[in-house]
Amino acid sequence: MQFEAEALRALDIATARGAQYADVRFGIVRGEHIEVRNGNVAGLSDASSSGFSVRALVNGAWGFASSASLESAEIDRVAAQAASIARASGSVSRHRIEIAPAGKFIDTYKTPVAKDPATVPAGERVAHLLAADKEIRAAKGVTVSRAWMDLWRTTKSYASTEGSRVEQELVQSGCALSALAVGEGDVQDRQYPGTAGLYQSGGYEVIESAKLLENARRTGEEAVALLTAEQCPSGEMDIVLSGDQMSLQIHESIGHALELDRVLGWEANFSGLSFATLDKIGAFRYGSPIVTVVCDMTCPKALATHGYDDEGTRATSVDLIRNGILVGYMAGRDTAAAAGVRCAGVVRAEYWGRLPMIRIGNVNLLPGSASFDELLDGIKQGVYMESNRSWSIDDKRLNFQFGCQIGYEIKNGRKGRLRKNPTYAGMTPAFWASCDAIGDASQWVAWGTPNCGKGEPLQTARSCQGASPARFRNVKVGVGYGK
Amino acid sequence: MASEYASDGAALARVLETALAASRADETEALAFASENALTRYTHNYIHENMVERNWQLSVRAVVGKRIGVAGTNRFDSGNVKLVVERATEMARLAPEDPDFPGLPSDASPCDEAPAKYDDATAHLAPEARARAVEQIVDVIRGRGLYAAGYVSTRSDCVAVANSKGVRRSFAGTDSAINIKAIGDTSSGYAEGYARRFADLSPSALAERAARKAVDSKSPQALEPGEYTVILEPPAFREFLIYLTWIGFGAQPYEQGSSFMAGKLGQKIAGDNVTFRDEFAHPLGAGIPFDFEGAPRRQVTLIDSGIAKDVVYDSYYAAKLKHANTGHALPAPNTDGPMPLNIVVPAGAKPVADLIRSVDRGVLVTRTWYIRLVDQKQTLITGMTRDGLFRIERGEVTHGLKNMRFNESILGALNRCELSRELVRSESHVLPAAKIEGFHFTSGTEFG
Repeated sequence: MQFEAEALRALDIATARGAQYADVRFGIVRGEHIEVRNGNVAGLSDASSSGFSVRALVNGAWGFASSASLESAEIDRVAAQAASIARASGSVSRHRIEIAPAGKFIDTYKTPVAKDPATVPAGERVAHLLAADKEIRAAKGVTVSRAWMDLWRTTKSYASTEGSRVEQELVQSGCALSALAVGEGDVQDRQYPGTAGLYQSGGYEVIESAKLLENARRTGEEAVALLTAEQCPSGEMDIVLSGDQMSLQIHESIGHALELDRVLGWEANFSGLSFATLDKIGAFRYGSPIVTVVCDMTCPKALATHGYDDEGTRATSVDLIRNGILVGYMAGRDTAAAAGVRCAGVVRAEYWGRLPMIRIGNVNLLPGSASFDELLDGIKQGVYMESNRSWSIDDKRLNFQFGCQIGYEIKNGRKGRLRKNPTYAGMTPAFWASCDAIGDASQWVAWGTPNCGKGEPLQTARSCQGASPARFRNVKVGVGYGK
Repeated sequence: MASEYASDGAALARVLETALAASRADETEALAFASENALTRYTHNYIHENMVERNWQLSVRAVVGKRIGVAGTNRFDSGNVKLVVERATEMARLAPEDPDFPGLPSDASPCDEAPAKYDDATAHLAPEARARAVEQIVDVIRGRGLYAAGYVSTRSDCVAVANSKGVRRSFAGTDSAINIKAIGDTSSGYAEGYARRFADLSPSALAERAARKAVDSKSPQALEPGEYTVILEPPAFREFLIYLTWIGFGAQPYEQGSSFMAGKLGQKIAGDNVTFRDEFAHPLGAGIPFDFEGAPRRQVTLIDSGIAKDVVYDSYYAAKLKHANTGHALPAPNTDGPMPLNIVVPAGAKPVADLIRSVDRGVLVTRTWYIRLVDQKQTLITGMTRDGLFRIERGEVTHGLKNMRFNESILGALNRCELSRELVRSESHVLPAAKIEGFHFTSGTEFG
């Protein structure tokens, strides 16, 4: 293992300072970002960072320290500092944190990559985005066109006092288009693919599969058309949500609600708590019987897929909602021990220097059996909504209001006229209980979220919410504008 | 050397000189950050997360003709610094020319000083001292039959920027914060404090405030959705300023027409009593005297007595729109344009207690949560209340309320507002509380 000698020394020092458990992570992160805007390259960057961290559990209290310097003396200092911070943590209360076993693993993991981004010349990548950006502006009336891509490569080495030694190389890629149209007293924007682009685990094949160029002009045309579209109606009606909007709906009203640290109050002051308390497991009806959601950290292509999480738990799949009933949580080793549930392998840090914590993994809604046309069947008067524009939910994950970029009237089972500014609102369990049809596997996409925020200091993380489009009955529509 | 970067601009400056000396680009900018960031987090009256991070980063912007590339590293040895300069130059050669790029800034004139910026005791505060602060907080809150969650943080930061046109800047500062949520069976309360010197914060006094709010709002009642007069305390009002900043106070949205300021300069957009300015040097604030391309940060009045006055600029948009550079560049590559980072809202005439007394039927909002933009041009936002929502009846705060969702136009609210006399810092902004008439609550929750 790379840095093995340094890791062992850090673990020895932490142990000598009283740690009953310690782990050390060395990491190198590299991110390439290209963004073009109205025909100019607005951003072209290639940044890397490396360093290490030590986490120590002393007398049932955590301490964590990290540094960008890999000098021997600094490794010694940081390992000792982690243990001394843990002692300070323990001075406030007699509460003892325990950790669930993770097993001992000596292993390596690499993201499967069909086309290594390094084999695609940077000039070719820039040209690809410039061509797509130009095509957006082929739609008359577009004010700002943008296209961007991100290529990320993360190398991690993990070692623990339990004997695990794990090396991983994670490759994640993503890209998107955006068209902004400014009219008289109105601004409309459209993005493609989906809300935040297509972000998945994998190499340049992810960028190619997004088909930016083929969809650029339509994206621009939709933004312009929205300026003159009629306002989405207000009232209670049936809705069909696109797969990418479903992804956001799952992220906010299921993913965050089932992070066990929230449930236990560890995020109470910032990200909040959760209505899905421990007493509800096994009995609480979270959604209709067709709603089944799993957290699968082994899901091919999904953005959060890895071999092991940042505290040595092997990637696994955990059921969260089975046939509409709450059956599980996303747990880390300490929260799993506190609640008596199994670890989900989702504990991750933004990079080597940050404290690992529970992050939404690949939280996937299993596909149903309906074709897209069948989702519209039986709706006399409703709205089809696509791609998120705004999202807000309370700090227990119940009361939500979401806005989408584009809507279409549904009349007598058929998709009709364009509608702008669609919004809908609800309460989480009632909303999911109203889900009566889910799109089939042919419409299912592993939608990635590249920028989920949580924790203090704030950390961003990459999650996935695989989903098909779905239908919901009797939903409150148009709230944001109707007041 | 590792320990010096976060407090010593000269150590970072030496790295920048290595980068500039290694460059063969037409123009080169080197920007470096270093920080030592400690944060102790607690919940259920014990510490559950406790960390310190020591990190730094160098970013090099290379210019070839009017082509630009950026590369970064946190390996500061001369070999890696030279490699990153070469990489930035290679990247620049890949880009097409940007005809609007004016070249890197050359303004090396002196900057205004930031007040009381660095405190050695804060920079070196031990984890035991942060734990003692948590203990003081827990003692107060446990004594009221509640439990505490929050954090105590201290940090030291250094930023330095230099370019091949003679700009040389560096700044070192400290900062600290305390964040407290007091939690009971049916309610919660919140308090926060920020200061460059940790010694200026009082953990016990803040804990008393959070605990009082939780106790006073227990057994909250439901509120019918509708229009109410509200008092937004500073942590709640702050979120309104932040959204205006993101969507409209920078030159980029102004130029593209998506800003609420576009076409409105010189026109009335808020009440006569509303003035917003960006002011890094406010005594309560925590700004730095230059932007991330080394230009001096100027005080900019954004809204003056309700009149849309100006937006902020960096060197790119200053040249493009023929306006003075106000020194509000973000780090390159910046695709969002310039942004104000230190909004100051001057105080009103009355203390907040008098504003409350003037409300016949209203609501006091301690804190807001998860605000998102619904409509950019209308400055329409939605969000939730949290951690202390109270009913005001005939000038008195009478009881707690269950949390509510609101949908409101920010500029609409600023046309119906009155500001309090007390100014406080909230995150990086300085502001009073605000009384707003006709505030729209649209739905509720079952918890306080």
